[in-house]
Amino acid sequence: MNQQHSDCILTIDMGTGAVRIFAFDLNGAVIGSMKGSYPTFHREPDYSEQDPEQVFITVLYVLKNLLNERIHPGGHKVIAICFSGAMHSVLPVDKKGIPLGNAITWSDNRGKREAQALKGTASGKAIYDATGTPIHPMSPLIKISWMKHHDKERFDHTARFLSLKSYIIQQLTGEHIIDYSLASATGLFNIHTFTWEQAALDHAGIGAGKLPDLVPVFYSKPRLRREYQTSLGLAPDTKIIAGASDGALATLGAGVWGEGKATITIEQSGAVRVVGNKVLKDQQQRFFNYVLTENYYVSGGPTNNGGVIFEWFAKEFGAFRKAFDLDDSMDQLILEASRIPAGSDGMLFLPYLLGERAPIWNANARGVYFGLNMQHSRQHFIRATIEGILYEIYSIGKTLEEHRAIHTLSINGSFTAYPFWAQMISDIFDKPVQVKDNSDSIGLGAFLLTATEMGIYKSLEEAARVVDIPTMYRPDKNDHEVYMRYYKVFERLSSKLLEDFEEIAGLQG
Amino acid sequence: MNSYLLQQGRSKELELFPHIIEFGSKKIQTIQFNSFPVEKTAWLRAYYVLDGRYDWIIDGMSRILYPGDLALILPEQSFGGARELLDIGAFFWIALDMNRSYLSTLESRSIQKILLLNDSPVIAGFKEGGHILQLIGRELSGQEIGFQTRINHLTDTLLILIARQLTKQNNSQRDFPRTFMKLEQELRDNLSHQWTVEEMAALVGLGTTAFTEKVKSFTGFSPISYLINIRISEAIKLLKRTDINLTDVALDTGFYSSQHFSTTFKKLTGYTPSQFRKNNTDNL
Repeated sequence: MNQQHSDCILTIDMGTGAVRIFAFDLNGAVIGSMKGSYPTFHREPDYSEQDPEQVFITVLYVLKNLLNERIHPGGHKVIAICFSGAMHSVLPVDKKGIPLGNAITWSDNRGKREAQALKGTASGKAIYDATGTPIHPMSPLIKISWMKHHDKERFDHTARFLSLKSYIIQQLTGEHIIDYSLASATGLFNIHTFTWEQAALDHAGIGAGKLPDLVPVFYSKPRLRREYQTSLGLAPDTKIIAGASDGALATLGAGVWGEGKATITIEQSGAVRVVGNKVLKDQQQRFFNYVLTENYYVSGGPTNNGGVIFEWFAKEFGAFRKAFDLDDSMDQLILEASRIPAGSDGMLFLPYLLGERAPIWNANARGVYFGLNMQHSRQHFIRATIEGILYEIYSIGKTLEEHRAIHTLSINGSFTAYPFWAQMISDIFDKPVQVKDNSDSIGLGAFLLTATEMGIYKSLEEAARVVDIPTMYRPDKNDHEVYMRYYKVFERLSSKLLEDFEEIAGLQG
Repeated sequence: MNSYLLQQGRSKELELFPHIIEFGSKKIQTIQFNSFPVEKTAWLRAYYVLDGRYDWIIDGMSRILYPGDLALILPEQSFGGARELLDIGAFFWIALDMNRSYLSTLESRSIQKILLLNDSPVIAGFKEGGHILQLIGRELSGQEIGFQTRINHLTDTLLILIARQLTKQNNSQRDFPRTFMKLEQELRDNLSHQWTVEEMAALVGLGTTAFTEKVKSFTGFSPISYLINIRISEAIKLLKRTDINLTDVALDTGFYSSQHFSTTFKKLTGYTPSQFRKNNTDNL
């Protein structure tokens, strides 16, 4: 084996619930991967938090295991490490860099009043236009402004508001940085000028000095602290690359680049994304525009109600066997759903159990089964549930198509791995569909970024072209027409029920 | 079935069974007012309803029991009838001194933990439990050859079945993430305890093999590695935030010595705890 072949690149993705580390050779083939999960704590109903030290230790533990079990014994030399991370987290640290409590993560809703108050205003609109991040409790802008009003003591003690990813990089290298891509999901970063947005900083009540230092995604100056070089067995010159957000890298790793392509991710939540060199301007503020690099924007819309809704259904109504297994139950449900024709014989489901983000952006929206008649069976409920989740995804795609032409879809995430779901996406959208594993996409995206930084590819565009995914599903025209007839009703109901959503959400307290 | 009451120290039937504080059976044909006031109990009590519908106050909360249900009252909890009355019906009960069971120390500790963590004191449709109580009653009155061994077995079996039923009831196997979250909280709340895999598995109602597999696939770690993760994470916080000495940090986070702590910490982080503390309090 020659020296060239034994070089490898590590990608570390700190996702919403787990860290995944991949090792790639320089051709992009996976040498090995490992994951380790960390919990999300909900000490109050709207709170979602993670323990930064636990995330750090988990990263270190998984990294160490992968190195000791696969990389060092295989004779590979790590030449670069690239980071990816979940968006929207906020971790306040004091002047010594010590965390002041837990990190507030993406799904935290404590700032819903602050978000609502800002959203309708002219300054809210201006901040959205400048930062590309919808005014929503997920946004660090809102989280920090919540803290200013409701957790003054912590706010006052905070020397810097980091992201979880920034904290991990700081622990490993000593640098307080955030890449443009992750910064562009904070609601505090101007996506046109690549600096912190003054109006947003003013709203949050902080100066730019309270945030990590901004760096490009290719930034590669940091080096591992000496102790970690020794304990991990990594060379002092191992390149540390800032990297990007998980969403941006998943899009790159799915080969979605330039015109005509969109990517759909369905995990617990979901998103539809496109990439382009222009910001998507939407009067109704329905989309996010996140940065990948200076020339590329990942635009799209997120949904709260992805696979989590199907899991809810499986838990509540799935087949009860002695040793219950959620995956078994979901397999069984999908088998049953496939016996019902497209359109579920007229049963419709609005999947807004968790309120909804794109495209309706209504935290008070709720779930609805509609059109039930005496012929409907349990199986109809199963199929209608899946169709409803995908109609919602389609409604995001359709709104995106007002701005961009989409010819093919690249889909990823654990739920798109079910052929039944993949085919249904193809039928509803009437487009050919390619399937890719999501955690693979993020890792591959981070690899492509690193390889581009190292000059293996000339540009990210060229790098994205090497992602080769065969088309696996083609649309069925008849089913498409059936779905479209019901989708019209779905869309109408979603807007018609506005008042009733408000009232029922109020009654639910 | 007749009403009767055996009490430790008064009834000679219980002489051989110091762990049974009380065993009784009651059949009520007319409503008995003021006969069942809410009082604090010193023992573990289990009431099994054979007939009727009872509205009882357990630990300050009203609970409705139907035939086949078993009510579980822990030492120090209050217990009695709503409006202090006893409705028409029939039930059995037993009061036990849990510290005098014949279970192994480890199992007894796990079972006590499960009982303490339980927050719903009614086990619905628990025919197995009722059956055992019935057998205990029969053995106590019959006193046939072998009854002493049999009764000791039966009281242990009752505790085991209750613990198993509670873990089933409280830990949805349909939702391992949620179950795991509860375990995580329990581990964090008692980090200084020397947890074993058996204890952790018992808390969530799984056998050790199934538990280890589930944890591994859910977290990527073995249960013990996962626990070490939490221990080190908490130790890091203590090292950064306070000036308590290293031995106390070690013991608070469940390491059995500062040496053990130091070795584990260095293996994972590359720093000894004191280097780590120095780095995080001096510079930056």
